[in-house]
Amino acid sequence: MIVKNDQLSFISGLKEFEILVKQESPLWAYNLRKESLDRFAKRGLPTVKEEEWKYTNVASLKEHQFQIASDSSKMAQLKELKAYYRKEEINLVFINGVFSEELSNLKKLPKGLKVADVNDAALYSQKEAAFVLQRYPQDQDDSFIALNKAFLYRVAFVQIDPKTVIKPLIHIIHVTDAVKSSVSSFPRSLIMLGKSAEAQVMESHLSFSDDTYLTNALSDIVLDQDAKLVYCKAQGESKNAFHIGTTRVWQERDSQLDSFSLMTGGKITRNNLNIVLNGSGAHATLNGLYLINGNQHVDNHTAVDHRPPNCTSTQLYKGILYDAARAVFNGKIFVKKEAQQTNSYQLNKNLLLGPDCRVDTKPQLEIFADDVKCTHGATIGQLNEDEIFYLQTRCIPKSQAVEMLARGFVDDILNRIADESIVAKLNKLLAEYFQD
Amino acid sequence: MLEIKDLYASIHESPILNGINLKINSGEVHAIMGPNGSGKSTLSKVIAGHPDYSVTQGVIEYEVNFKKINLLELEPEERAREGIFLAFQYPVEIPGVSSSVFLRAAFNEICKHQGAEEMDPLEFDEYLRKKMKLLDMDEKFINRPVNVDFSGGEKKRNEILQMAILNPRFAVLDETDSGLDIDSMRIVADGVNKLKSKKNAILLITHYQRLLNYIVPDFVHILVNGKIVKSAGKELALKVEEKGYDWLS
Repeated sequence: MIVKNDQLSFISGLKEFEILVKQESPLWAYNLRKESLDRFAKRGLPTVKEEEWKYTNVASLKEHQFQIASDSSKMAQLKELKAYYRKEEINLVFINGVFSEELSNLKKLPKGLKVADVNDAALYSQKEAAFVLQRYPQDQDDSFIALNKAFLYRVAFVQIDPKTVIKPLIHIIHVTDAVKSSVSSFPRSLIMLGKSAEAQVMESHLSFSDDTYLTNALSDIVLDQDAKLVYCKAQGESKNAFHIGTTRVWQERDSQLDSFSLMTGGKITRNNLNIVLNGSGAHATLNGLYLINGNQHVDNHTAVDHRPPNCTSTQLYKGILYDAARAVFNGKIFVKKEAQQTNSYQLNKNLLLGPDCRVDTKPQLEIFADDVKCTHGATIGQLNEDEIFYLQTRCIPKSQAVEMLARGFVDDILNRIADESIVAKLNKLLAEYFQD
Repeated sequence: MLEIKDLYASIHESPILNGINLKINSGEVHAIMGPNGSGKSTLSKVIAGHPDYSVTQGVIEYEVNFKKINLLELEPEERAREGIFLAFQYPVEIPGVSSSVFLRAAFNEICKHQGAEEMDPLEFDEYLRKKMKLLDMDEKFINRPVNVDFSGGEKKRNEILQMAILNPRFAVLDETDSGLDIDSMRIVADGVNKLKSKKNAILLITHYQRLLNYIVPDFVHILVNGKIVKSAGKELALKVEEKGYDWLS
């Protein structure tokens, strides 16, 4: 029933996709795809006239034809991939959008943990999961959420039972290796932690090529009462790729999210992180880092919605730009009328090390409660001359001093991540920028 | 070892140093005293090569391997590798850069310059700990970012630790005593005295005579309005302490 539409001219392989999913899908999934596709067709790609997309122009998507990925053609860079992740961790590997059983490691999972590549039909049997997939009002889906849902088929599914603590890292890896043609993939994750459950989940979007492709990702995270999650999204796509992703987090009472976003690949990247603090006592940390060069463009949008009283959130996004790279940071904090005693902090720091780079940063506060503490700010600048001089007087040449200070700027935020395995992976993605 | 000849320097086109002449030999300790704004700190920064200061006249001759070079022609890091060291009045904080990584990088630059083998992290760690004992420093310091959240006293001690590690031939200590309580000052001064030898020289820049009780100078110079107006032995410092600077200008 998928009708080719002008707005979808940059996606091909719709018919094959429809045949693929037809037999297995329950009615709700079928309807969800259809409604989402209609929604996207109506909206089309966002333009720079829309406030939310003012600084990020995705019109160039239309210059391409992205084949919906349906087979995991042989990975050319298996060695690089294997050097990136650890075999002994809990890995869920997708190549070109398709689950790879061979590279994943889902046998002998700890008790109380479900990790799987499931299709929509399997999710349907789980009322809770189906509910989460439909939790947010559909009519508020933006173009790219609608587009992702239009191609809902496989889901990276992580569920942790109440009172269960999972120690090893759960790592969802999406690798694109578009050997044959430009591909598009629509990764979808669903991560659910039961009451008082604890876990660490990382999502990596990678390529070891310089292929042109589109990744349009959507992740949903639900933290039940008192749950604790360390979550990291690492984007190390090809430098010719488009990456447009949204992570939505729903937090109940006293739950804690400690999140980190690294954006370093991609030609054009838009990364949304939307948090709803729905139960009092909940806390969210949103830390982020972007390192980009050449003509790369990275746009981070965060939104934290403080609904009940006594919630806290802290955000620190840091970025280094080289050459003619461009970055956008937009952070919104909403404090609803009931959300008294909210404590919220937001800071965006940028280091401009290229001659033609540019940053647009826009922190926004919308506060309707009267007893709250909210601070926000942004800095854009170059390296401190006194710091460079200090290192020079200690024998360190200027170019090395610059690199050392840039490294320090990065480590200052990486050091906040407690898990060494996560930090090691992020450092691998940053290897281009630092000698060791 | 080092001779400053007729040195004029300015910052943002306002002149600060107005013809300085000073000769320092190996094994000597010199002290420069003077009122606020007399150009003491400027002199230290010009010796180290701070880019904000422009030298409008004069040379700084420095002896390397029995040859005289003009220090002013070298980049700051080249001066440092030739054995020039500046202990900063206000040491800079460097977030994210751990002290051990920073110190090893600095030390290995010297090794490279001298054609010696560089130290690996383990070897350097041992070397560093030995030097830290000299200054009674806490082990925690090793992994902390350079000077971040250090107290005033810790920062000054860290400067002298760097001096101990880099083992310079000519060290300028810019107001190393300011902000130190008496115990810290004794530790810092003991450290400096242990590093003093016949082969190196030290230039102390200070506001107060107090430090000179602990690190005893061979010569004291009084700087006023960017010029040395009087030079004598250590007794000059006591006289200044008693009478102030007015009688000199």
